[in-house]
Order: sequence, then structure tokens, then C-alpha cells
Amino acid sequence: MERTIRVLSPVGDTQVKTLAAPPLPSLQGKTVGFIDNRKTNFEHLVGLLARTLKEQHGVAEVIHRQKAHAAVGATPELLAEMARTCDLVITGSGD
Amino acid sequence: MSPEVRLASKTVDLPDTPEAIDAYFVEHKWSDGLPVVPPTEARVRDMLAAIRRDPQESLGDMPPGWRAATIEKLAINAVMAGCLSSYFPVIVAAVEAMLDPAFNLYGVQATTHPVAPLLIVGGDYARTIGMHWGSGCFGPGHRANATIGRALRMILLNVGGAWPGHGDMATQGQPSKYSYAVAENEPDTPWEPLRVALGFRPEDSTVTVFGAEGPHNVNDHVSTTAAGILTNCCSVMTTLGSNVGWYMSQSQALLVLGPEHAATIARSGFSRRDVQEFCFNHARMALRELRLGGMYGIHEWPAWMNAIQDEDVRLPIVLSPEDILVMVAGGPGKHSAVVPNCTFSRTVTRRITI
Repeated sequence: MERTIRVLSPVGDTQVKTLAAPPLPSLQGKTVGFIDNRKTNFEHLVGLLARTLKEQHGVAEVIHRQKAHAAVGATPELLAEMARTCDLVITGSGD
Repeated sequence: MSPEVRLASKTVDLPDTPEAIDAYFVEHKWSDGLPVVPPTEARVRDMLAAIRRDPQESLGDMPPGWRAATIEKLAINAVMAGCLSSYFPVIVAAVEAMLDPAFNLYGVQATTHPVAPLLIVGGDYARTIGMHWGSGCFGPGHRANATIGRALRMILLNVGGAWPGHGDMATQGQPSKYSYAVAENEPDTPWEPLRVALGFRPEDSTVTVFGAEGPHNVNDHVSTTAAGILTNCCSVMTTLGSNVGWYMSQSQALLVLGPEHAATIARSGFSRRDVQEFCFNHARMALRELRLGGMYGIHEWPAWMNAIQDEDVRLPIVLSPEDILVMVAGGPGKHSAVVPNCTFSRTVTRRITI
């Protein structure tokens, strides 16, 4: 019989069970937020996407906010504002 | 550690051959690509016995996967990396330091920059466990340096979840991401050790984490004065493509002087503070040049720097002399090293406790 060895998993466990929000059935009349990482050209991408979302998908409003800089996370205050005011938030990297 | 203490990790039974074990660990992305020591319960318990901490105590959630950095998970990864149990207190202190918000581990793990945490171990405990600070100190050949650095990387991969291209978005990375740990050459340091300069007591043993690029060599076989050697150091420190200097509130640079360069500098009457002041005042670049690359345009500078109009004004790479850290490491030879930081992480030091 083959000799076996029992090893322990080195992978950490997370307390967070769900990281993805459920999808929205429609964008009609919704408010979409963008968290801009401040890297070059993201502001152009936001402008283009905002126009497309409004003209082609019926989005009512687009909110554009920036992080302090690309290498830090969004502040709790910014996240709270976006959660309060937006139906959908897109974080992005123009690089 | 008492055998009654419960270990919480899942287990898997594998054929007991090196080939089968390594194949499983590589397939499941549980390793850095090199062979590992199988983390059996007995080996993990031996590792845990080196420190009086509850195995289920979490030091915090480790980004970017935000998984709990429990003492048990650190021990499993330390076993895999080939650590002796006497190294484990250094690893625990290093993880505590990396999880300090000032270190910005989320940025360090996820960035496109090739940053790796450099561990600098100082004090009696470095000597006790055989950390190497002499010739080739950043290179291979010494188990404590090699496996402590490797264990940290294993933890960043397996607990943090920073897999290359998925979580760790480094464009190219760097070899220092395999292992990056060194001790301070205190016998050849003409000044107080780094940890004392950072506010710790001489009798403390500490680990300092520094979000670093690999060492950039400073070759100076010519200079016989502090000014000469440090002018060479500042030249290496100040390159347009460097990350240092763009997010000024967090930019730091580490100067690792070889013992011969350090002795020459000290003979010129320079204190550690003099070295820092000299570098702060000479490691500068003209605004005209800074505009040509790096992160110009998306930089984060204080108002006084943003207000500069004269294109020829030479601007510093850090905000104060204290942001240039100075230590001595290495053996004989006319070489030193500049270690730039990633511009968005501050160095953090923790006392090593058993």
C-alpha cells in the first residue's frame, strides 16, 4: 500500500463570504459612480463611459470621485458616500 | 505547545514522495515554485512552540485577499519555507510590522511596481539565529536569511493571496520577491545601530520592514572622503525612473553602506545625521528633468514644491533627512547599495518577542 503524508493547508481563511454584489437587472434611471485611481487618462475613460451609459443605457446620473493617489485604498468616507448615493460603483485604473 | 491545542487548518493526505508533494503544492498554487518542506502537524507544532501565542490569534486580515493572518497559518508557511523554529519570532514580528497601516501592505501587494518587503533584523536575536550581515549579505548561502525571507513571501502568497497577475499586479516583479532578509552589520557600524536611530533601545532585537526595490549598487573605488562616497550614493539615489519622490509624504530611501565606505565616511567626521543631511541636500533633480518621466502629472507633492516655477530648481526625493535611512551591511570591498522604496509605504519596526 502506498505510504501517505498528511499536510496542513497554508492558505488563509477569509471571514467575508461574499465579495461580489448582486447584478442590477437594468441600468435605467440608476446612478453610477466611478472611483478614479488618479492615474493618467482615467478621467478621459470616465467621460467616455459616462456618455455611453447615459445615451445608450438610460443611466440617470454619473458621479466621479478620486482617491488620494493610485497606491492607497479609497477612504471609508468616500466608500460611505458612494454606497449612499450610487446604485452601482465602478473602480478603475487608467494606466 | 501542548498537543491538546487545536489546529484549525484543513488537511490533505498525499503520497509521501517529494515529487507528489511538490506537484500538489504547485498545482494548487500553494508554493513559490520551489520545493517545500511538507507542513505536517508535528512540524507545525514544533514551529508554534517557539512562541507563546494562541495559534488561532489573528494579527489582522492580510490584503489583497483579506484573509486572517493567524499564528497557525504563519507557522505552516514558515515550515514550508524551511525555517527553524527559532526563526519564527522574527516572522511574527515582521508580519505585525507589515500589517501596520503605515506600511500600506495593500499597495505593496497589489501594485504594478516591483516592490518587495525587505526585512532588516537587528540586535542580539539576529546573532542568536545566525542571520548574516557580512559578504554577500543580500545573496544566497545562509539559512536564516534565505528561509525567513522566503517564509514572508509564502505568507504574502498564501495568506494575503497576492498571486502574480492576480492580486499581485507587478509588471515584472523582481528576484527579491523570492526572499529578501538581511541583518545589520553592527560590529562594523561606526554609529548607533539602525534600530536605536529609529527609537528602540540597544538591548532590543527588532525587525524593520521596508517596501523596497532590489539593492542598486554604488561602486566607488576612487573617493577617500565622505563627500566623495556620498556624492556617488546620491547619484544612484537620483534617477528619473525611480519611484522615490512621487508620493512625497511616503517616499523614503535606504542607504546600505558597505563597511569600508562607512569607515571612510566616519573618518571624515560624519555622524549618521550628517550622512542623512548630505544625502537630503544632494540627492536632488531639477524640475526640468522631473517633468520628463516617472509619475510627473499624477504626483503628490507638498504645496511648496508644486509652486516652484524655476525649471532649474533641484527638488528633493524625500521630505526630510530622516526619510533617508542609513545602515551598514556587507563585507570587504568598495561597494554600497541604495534601496529605493516604492513611494507609497513607510518603514515600520517591531520588537521581536518570544
